[in-house]
Amino acid sequence: MSRIRQSSKFGGSKLSLIDYVIFVIMLIATLLILIPFWNVIMISIATPKEYADNPLLMFPKNPTLASYKALFADGTILTGFWNTIKLLLAGLPLSLFLTTSMAYGLSRPAFPGKRLFFFLVLFTMIFNGGIVPMYLVMKSLHLTGSLWAVIFSGSFSAYNMILMMNYFYSLPESLMESARLDGAGEWRILFQIVLPLSAPILATIALFYGVCFWNGWYDAMVFLRRIEQLPLQNVLRAIIVESTTNASNAASVDQIGKQSFSMGMKMAAVFVTMVPVMCFFPLLQKHFAKGVLTGAIKT
Amino acid sequence: MKPAVAGPDKSSGSSWTKRLFTEIWKNRTVYTLLIPGLVWLFLFAYMPMGGLSLAFKEYNARLGIWRSHWIGMENFRYVFRDPNFIAAVWRTLYINIIKLVIQFPFPVLVALLLNELRIRRMSKIFQTVLTFPQFLSWIIVSGIVINVLSYNGLVNSVLSLIGLPTINFLGSESTFVPMLLLTDIWKSTGWGAIIYLAAISGIDQDQYESSQIDGATRMQQTFRITLPNILPTIVVMFILSVGGLMSSGFDQIFNLANAATKNVSEVLDVYIYRITFQSSTDFSFSTAVSLFRSLVNMFLLLLADRGAKLMGGDGLFK
Repeated sequence: MSRIRQSSKFGGSKLSLIDYVIFVIMLIATLLILIPFWNVIMISIATPKEYADNPLLMFPKNPTLASYKALFADGTILTGFWNTIKLLLAGLPLSLFLTTSMAYGLSRPAFPGKRLFFFLVLFTMIFNGGIVPMYLVMKSLHLTGSLWAVIFSGSFSAYNMILMMNYFYSLPESLMESARLDGAGEWRILFQIVLPLSAPILATIALFYGVCFWNGWYDAMVFLRRIEQLPLQNVLRAIIVESTTNASNAASVDQIGKQSFSMGMKMAAVFVTMVPVMCFFPLLQKHFAKGVLTGAIKT
Repeated sequence: MKPAVAGPDKSSGSSWTKRLFTEIWKNRTVYTLLIPGLVWLFLFAYMPMGGLSLAFKEYNARLGIWRSHWIGMENFRYVFRDPNFIAAVWRTLYINIIKLVIQFPFPVLVALLLNELRIRRMSKIFQTVLTFPQFLSWIIVSGIVINVLSYNGLVNSVLSLIGLPTINFLGSESTFVPMLLLTDIWKSTGWGAIIYLAAISGIDQDQYESSQIDGATRMQQTFRITLPNILPTIVVMFILSVGGLMSSGFDQIFNLANAATKNVSEVLDVYIYRITFQSSTDFSFSTAVSLFRSLVNMFLLLLADRGAKLMGGDGLFK
């Protein structure tokens, strides 16, 4: 992504003082990102006593998986995983279907109403009803309390649609024209010519929606009621955030001892939720950078 | 595209509609493709927008959104008289403006530093690490933050180790906004740098070469060539972030706030959540607040878009 311009020009010259200064600054910045992660992982495998003695802990002496066992023994985190997987299994195909069909339709040459339909999509980017009417609409559709509410509300994004539409625009129209001359119907052109050519953009968009479904929590918090329905992020939130208040003002030794154990479990939960993102990260970085550069993703 | 039909028979009255129908029939595949998306837009984008009409009604659970009775501007009279609402609006602007001003230079700085880093492989590694936190949800990050900044966490342990007073980052009102700044810089700086790195890579190399012949130092090159060249990008990014002044930061604030900071953390979106789902619910009142929020957001976005285009940028929607 970054093109380091000097590589060829300065290739031969020696590194000067300023190069070392810059290197050290960037190294410190990088460590400031890495150390918290390291600390999280180490606390998750530390014993409560060791954490109580020294929360600074960089290399625990007696690593243990007790926190992970405690975390999974409870079972809510597994239900959380399963619910998030359900979200992905239903949400990804649905969102790809909605986005692709709309994007391909709108990328076709002029047809009556094209500008109106495009405007209907564009307008959702600058104006929305907000959460309150959304909740009432979901309720009137009898979707609240069901995972479908979360799936539906996350299954279409104007940004992704426009990104995809621009890709379809970039495909040479002559390709489709010649297929048409050979007698292929519109559907056949879509399924046998356009879609096979669109694998890269489909992968990109799938990743975008995938990250949204994985990281999403607000819709689930608003639309769902029962604990066993909540996706992973909400379970994690219940484990971490909703029990913070006592973490910031602990007093007695007894309390600290008990609390460190729960800290171990919290950090185990953080790590477990983070692992899939770490696995997909190389892919994510590449595709999201592309998205940001084409101006389609603004987060 | 449309040869024979358009030509001769424009005299007859029915030909215009007939032509339209021919066009529509010819494009029937396209319309079929649009149907699923349009149904989604209708149900989950335009129905909620229509639902905003509840702001001018008195919500009656039995009658639902659409048949509740109109009461004009009544709800807004209460909204604008609610001190919590006014406070939430100002607090949102206050927090986001401070964040915008203080946080904004960091990605530019990181991009410049990464660009000047002459060990190419390290630059790649640094960039990868710095970008990573952006892909985590604020819930995960708040888990990390609670560990690192809590009263007996990493940072305070270091502070007490070197003999400095410890800071109650998470549980005190005075450190709440600095804590937001710190954590948001931690999470999003690396990602923000990417757009500037792209702009830098687009700079004409001749400028550097000729300046080098003239004996320019690297410092001079950075300030006289790199920075002026990416200035348009910087200005456009700044203007675009104006569009989020009323809406950004919710995920972060909602997950990092706690009982001790509830007086300084209630931004507009948190306020809306609280009055809608946590206290005794008056849906018409909440909807009136929602409508206010959506209108202000739209105004800010259009303003940002116009501003960015004036500066020669792409705007929000290309």
